[in-house]
Amino acid sequence: MDESGATTRKWEDLDTDILVTIFQMFDIFELTSGIAHVCSAWRMACCDPLLWKTLDLSALESNFIRIPLEPYVYVHGRSDKTVTQVLKIALNLSRGSIQTLIFHVNLYLSDEQLTYTAERCPLVKRIVMPAWNRIKKTGICKAISMWPHLESMTMPSIANPPYLLEEISKNCKNFSKLKIMGPFDMLFASSLVSYIPKLKVLSLRCSVIFKDALITILEKLQDLEVLNISHCILIEAGPPPLWKRVVKEIDPFIVDKASRLREFLVCMNDSCVMCQRARSDEGLMRWYKYEEGLWKSDEARSLAL
Amino acid sequence: MASSRKITLRSSDGESFEVEEAVAVESQTIKHMIEDDCADNAIPLPNVTSKILAKVIEYCKKHVDASKAEDRVNDEDLKAWDAAFIKVDQVDQATLFDLILAANYLNIKSLLDLTCQTVADMIKGNLFPVRNEWLNFTFSIANRELVLVCLTEWVAHRRLFCS
Repeated sequence: MDESGATTRKWEDLDTDILVTIFQMFDIFELTSGIAHVCSAWRMACCDPLLWKTLDLSALESNFIRIPLEPYVYVHGRSDKTVTQVLKIALNLSRGSIQTLIFHVNLYLSDEQLTYTAERCPLVKRIVMPAWNRIKKTGICKAISMWPHLESMTMPSIANPPYLLEEISKNCKNFSKLKIMGPFDMLFASSLVSYIPKLKVLSLRCSVIFKDALITILEKLQDLEVLNISHCILIEAGPPPLWKRVVKEIDPFIVDKASRLREFLVCMNDSCVMCQRARSDEGLMRWYKYEEGLWKSDEARSLAL
Repeated sequence: MASSRKITLRSSDGESFEVEEAVAVESQTIKHMIEDDCADNAIPLPNVTSKILAKVIEYCKKHVDASKAEDRVNDEDLKAWDAAFIKVDQVDQATLFDLILAANYLNIKSLLDLTCQTVADMIKGNLFPVRNEWLNFTFSIANRELVLVCLTEWVAHRRLFCS
């Protein structure tokens, strides 16, 4: 018994480096469930920046159902509380060292939760945004204004992009990579050209793209290196009465424009499972129907998770 | 680069262990000492007792043998050997602790990872992470509750605004 007493003291005295090595083997739920409260030595190890370079909260999804009223989603109160709890502890331990922040595409974060998070991640370089039904425009802008080092963003569908892109252009001078998980039209394309002309990597996979928007970015985004339009539904505005038709093949004009890109990622194949799914979901992918984590893939490597 | 040179390691309690160089250099610390020509006589390891050094040598020998062409052991077998090596009734907590310190001092990454993972698993066994609560939310119950709450709110909303 004496020996085990001595051992207990010794465990607290383990080198911080060793403790950090051990704690690197924990996932976010385990890290935030009391390890930092064991003793001051363990707390110090829990705050090591090595553990917090990336905060991956993609295991957190909201317990929600869709409703017919704004904001069209109802999140169960208790799941909201759990999110807040994990956020509080993780952000506290991270002490501002987070560089990559990952949320689940079906996590319905509130305005307050996003602001709280953004305030505590000033060094963030890459963000994978949660669903933003419950977040106001002001909330999104406030968050972006707190991320001057932002380089890469994955965002959900957005009806009115200009305000967002303008905020990014004002605050994020190093911004170069964007993944849009929603439709891409002429408004979006011209906003990109106006506000983020130096964009290098763009992924629009599994969504609806309007042909004129595609041509615009191919012509006007001079610094674009990687463009991913895999499994997309390409739409062309035609003369009436056929005012919208789906383009079945990338025509040579587009291929030519895209030849200057380092990577032009396309997949438009009737036998491709992802293409079929995108078509049946009409360009607004219902990721919750498919395999866990499917939404994380991307043919553009720097935007994959 | 004599491959079957013998190196002598001396533990903190004065015991000497003769091992093949290939086994000794599983430890980056010892490897650097040899490269820097500090290994003519026995290499003193003042931080490692004979009991622990014996186990470390056993581990390194197994891993060196496992990667030799003739004696090729596949990954699964090696993993099983590792698991048996570190099993809690084979290795008490005090020994595990000392093994971690030794692996760290001697800079043997695979042994450090193995011992740290063991400790991590022990700690995990004592945690009640938030996720458990999370998973206890079965959708069936939650959905019913939610639908009820929602319907009530929706009806109230309609009464207020649509009459």
